[in-house]
Amino acid sequence: MCLPLVVSALLGATAPRLGRRLPPATAVRLLTAALLLAALATGFVLAVAGALVLGQVPVVAAVGHWSARALGAGVPVPTGVGALAAVVVCGLAGAALRRAVRGGSDLLRSALACRQLGAAGPAGLVVVPDEDPDAYALPGLTGRVVVTTAMLRALPAPERRVLLAHEAAHLRHRHHLWVQAAELAAAADPLLRPGARAVRAAVERWADEDAAAEVGDRALAARALARAALARSAARPRSAPAGALAATDGAVVDRARALLAGPPPPRRWLAGAVGAVLLATSAAVLVTGADTDARFDAAQSVYGSR
Amino acid sequence: MAAGGRRRGALEQEVLASLAAAGRPLTVAEVLADLGDGLAYTTVMTALSRLHAKGALSREPVGRAFAYALAADPAALEASLTARRMSRLLDAGTDRADVLARFVADLGPADERVLTELLAGDRRDPDDGRGEPGGGDPDGGAGRR
Repeated sequence: MCLPLVVSALLGATAPRLGRRLPPATAVRLLTAALLLAALATGFVLAVAGALVLGQVPVVAAVGHWSARALGAGVPVPTGVGALAAVVVCGLAGAALRRAVRGGSDLLRSALACRQLGAAGPAGLVVVPDEDPDAYALPGLTGRVVVTTAMLRALPAPERRVLLAHEAAHLRHRHHLWVQAAELAAAADPLLRPGARAVRAAVERWADEDAAAEVGDRALAARALARAALARSAARPRSAPAGALAATDGAVVDRARALLAGPPPPRRWLAGAVGAVLLATSAAVLVTGADTDARFDAAQSVYGSR
Repeated sequence: MAAGGRRRGALEQEVLASLAAAGRPLTVAEVLADLGDGLAYTTVMTALSRLHAKGALSREPVGRAFAYALAADPAALEASLTARRMSRLLDAGTDRADVLARFVADLGPADERVLTELLAGDRRDPDDGRGEPGGGDPDGGAGRR
């Protein structure tokens, strides 16, 4: 019954490594699916544990027309744990709902910004006259790539091509949706928080790999990353608070090194192993669900026969 | 499909980026020299005139050719305000704006040294990105088609 919790903890702990070892596109898809499944499974078993304990409260049992004693017979969940599970699952469901609403409104805002940029972005590129080197993808129905003039000046033409290909890959593969889904899973199950960060990192790697493939030169792609990052940090020397830097320390270096290290091997066995764990978890959760259903049915028939 | 194995619209983006980086009107030949990469003159010319037809570029005659520049239309001003607002959201560092994917994250103190070395080490490499010959690289052209 606590298998989903174990899987969540395991996934949270191993996701950063999985994200680095799997090919980026596989990592994004597999990890996001795993995070969503783990979050659902965890929520489900917490809800079951809570229901089994709450169902033994006489008032609840009377309303549900089942026998409190029959329901409680041989239940492996201690009362205190069940009550705690009920409280936790409500809190997590609330957090997931808030995260979903926020993610939706952020995507909507971005889509509206894209529409405002409509006329001004032929070929999907918006050039902003600004002395701060910056570039990002703005997702929408037809997303936009936003780049400042300072960033364009900082890069020679072949590296500008890498940047444009990278951002186009984000939009083409709808990376924002994967990231939002992973964040939703992490909100519903905080054990998965490192997993959501791993998906974010893998999304950048995916776009890097696409860009490197498009220009046909991995070293060129690595140079583009290095030059763009250095231009950005030269323009804003340590303006960010110390704490804000910690989240991204080493991220660009890791990406550049991964590009220079050569194409990522497929590692099908690793992807298969993760898939097998997910299948086993799903099966276990389905069994728990069926067991619980049968237990409530039995308790109801006892109630009816009295 | 677009020229040179590029995805659709990629060349137009590169041409716009080239003009924006130059910050002054460029002729077809100048854009071609900047992009290099074994592109054909007519390919670049087509991209420029298509962008001009869309109203993204203005052009003025220079000798027997045209020089193209980014069109300064009122919509562009509004667009850059919108874009600035979005990048301010990104800068806030909160995950408020986490639908946006920035090309490069902020660097830690040790990162700058590593990346500088990466670029410096590469400069000794004859195949530097900056050193790509403009237009006349038969190998680059052949490899791409």
